[in-house]
Amino acid sequence: MSTFEALLLALLILMLLVGGKQGFSNFMALLINLVLMVLAVILIAGGFNAIGVAVVIAFVVLATTIFLSTADGNVAATAFVASLLVTVLVLAVILIGVGLAHVQGFGTEDSEELEGYNLLIGVSFQNILIATALFSTLGAIAEAAVAVAAGMAELGTQASESGLTKMGGEIIGTALNTLFFGFFGGFAGLFIWFTQLKYPFWQVLNNKIFAGELIQVLFSMIAVTVTVPLTMWVVKTREKGNQA
Amino acid sequence: MKKFYGKIISGSQWRWLLPILAFLFVFGLCEFDGPLYPQPVVRLTRVQNERPQRQVDNFNNVDHTTQQHVSGRLLNTSRQGRLVRFSNTFSASGALDTRLRVGQSVFVQRQNGSYQLQDVKRDGVVLGLLAATLTLMALVVKRRVWLTFGSLLANVILLLITLHLETSPANQQLAYLLFSGMAVLFTLVTTVFIAGFSRQAAVIATATIGATALAVALGYGLFNLTQYRDLHIEAMNYVTQVPQLLFFVQIIIGSLGAVLDESNDIAVAVMQLPRDSKRRFKAGMAIGRNVMGPLIAVLFMIFIADTFSESILWLRNDNALTQTFIWVMGLGFAQALVSAFGIVLAVPLTAGLATVTGKGATDEHI
Repeated sequence: MSTFEALLLALLILMLLVGGKQGFSNFMALLINLVLMVLAVILIAGGFNAIGVAVVIAFVVLATTIFLSTADGNVAATAFVASLLVTVLVLAVILIGVGLAHVQGFGTEDSEELEGYNLLIGVSFQNILIATALFSTLGAIAEAAVAVAAGMAELGTQASESGLTKMGGEIIGTALNTLFFGFFGGFAGLFIWFTQLKYPFWQVLNNKIFAGELIQVLFSMIAVTVTVPLTMWVVKTREKGNQA
Repeated sequence: MKKFYGKIISGSQWRWLLPILAFLFVFGLCEFDGPLYPQPVVRLTRVQNERPQRQVDNFNNVDHTTQQHVSGRLLNTSRQGRLVRFSNTFSASGALDTRLRVGQSVFVQRQNGSYQLQDVKRDGVVLGLLAATLTLMALVVKRRVWLTFGSLLANVILLLITLHLETSPANQQLAYLLFSGMAVLFTLVTTVFIAGFSRQAAVIATATIGATALAVALGYGLFNLTQYRDLHIEAMNYVTQVPQLLFFVQIIIGSLGAVLDESNDIAVAVMQLPRDSKRRFKAGMAIGRNVMGPLIAVLFMIFIADTFSESILWLRNDNALTQTFIWVMGLGFAQALVSAFGIVLAVPLTAGLATVTGKGATDEHI
């Protein structure tokens, strides 16, 4: 058995023990997302426009993550609508940020990994980066949208403005921790590299890989922050629609 | 129509433009920070492109490279204001190069009297986006803003301390211990920011540390049991030390935030319930079941998306899909799976601890 199979099997058992039926559908969501990510890589490498692929697959990833991991259909529907709105907004921010930052592809610190590879592959690395950035915000958007929608369903229509602000603040606060540690965990090696080779601050700030990573964290943080008021707005609008 | 128009421009809605203004302000400010840099900075005043050249490699990838003749003015050093010229080549794919445009600022290097492009100046975008993000957060979370910023800042400072300790030569042997210790410290500091010095904070911190430790133990147990088959830790990027250590660090730190987030959600909800062990534990498990799926997705998407550029490069260089998956995407996937262990294990752990620790909210008032 390969290590991946063993890890997947162990996760399936854990999720069944802890989550039962819902744990199983969470596991399925993870598998579907994995297949979608591999599919995205194949399509982009096959010559399809990376941004187009990202938009289509993002839609499916959001649907999978939200509907398979939320038991309450109404909460899921609200969260899904809100997350689509947020995704459109975030895509606009990503297009501007990536366009200005020139952080596509690889940096000089990557040269060891790139040895022996032909880099003129005819696929736009800038578009690949836009896809990467969009995908890495999706999980955070889905999580925050579900949390807000579920929280508002629990509070009901009686919720006061200050109660909602407090709930939103808590959701954003904890989501920021997830993102901060998640991204740092992904690139701990790079930070140790910078410290070990004593890069001065100004050089780190302008470094291609660091700048690329940091703006991706910021995209995700913007995404989570925007998700909170937008989901609340969707909930209220849906309520009004139901009353009318 | 009039009503709609009135609503859009009415008073407080304007505040949503503030993040954009913050971005423009900081971005603009960075246009003038050239003199702060020791490295020569040039603002481009003229860019001339030659004809694109078609390039075909032995895998039949078709790309185009273009040469640019660039001139600009030095923004700093003793030669400030002088006109310099250099050339740049960019490709349509742009893996290591980039297309220069008029108005952009770049770093250059002086060699034998002539100048060469070194890198693009990126501080404006990075700091501008940071300013926009912070402004947006301040608008949404309102009074909690200092707590949020404080927690982030504390983590950044801890991170810098860890990095400095870790890279000082005397500590190389102790690196595993040091990082585990720092992970505990990260957890404690963050929980205090979230929940103050309270019983709730104690539950969150204990559950987070416990679940992460269990997850890592289970992960490494399985790695060894399967003898790291198909898991190539030696393929890690940015390796300056033993790759095994770096992978360990990435797993611990990467999952910490998500586990903490989840423990917090569960503990807060459970500890508000009246003291009925069975009901409290059940409620905790129900909340955990709801949040664990999306949280696993958050980390999975981050870790996998990070491998995209390299995966596509591998596929375009005629590597098989399975090879690419194992060597490039595999490490991110393994990291996501071990983090998922932590996220799942934290559910019963937090629910259990929150049930046995402390009285219910109603009890405390009596």
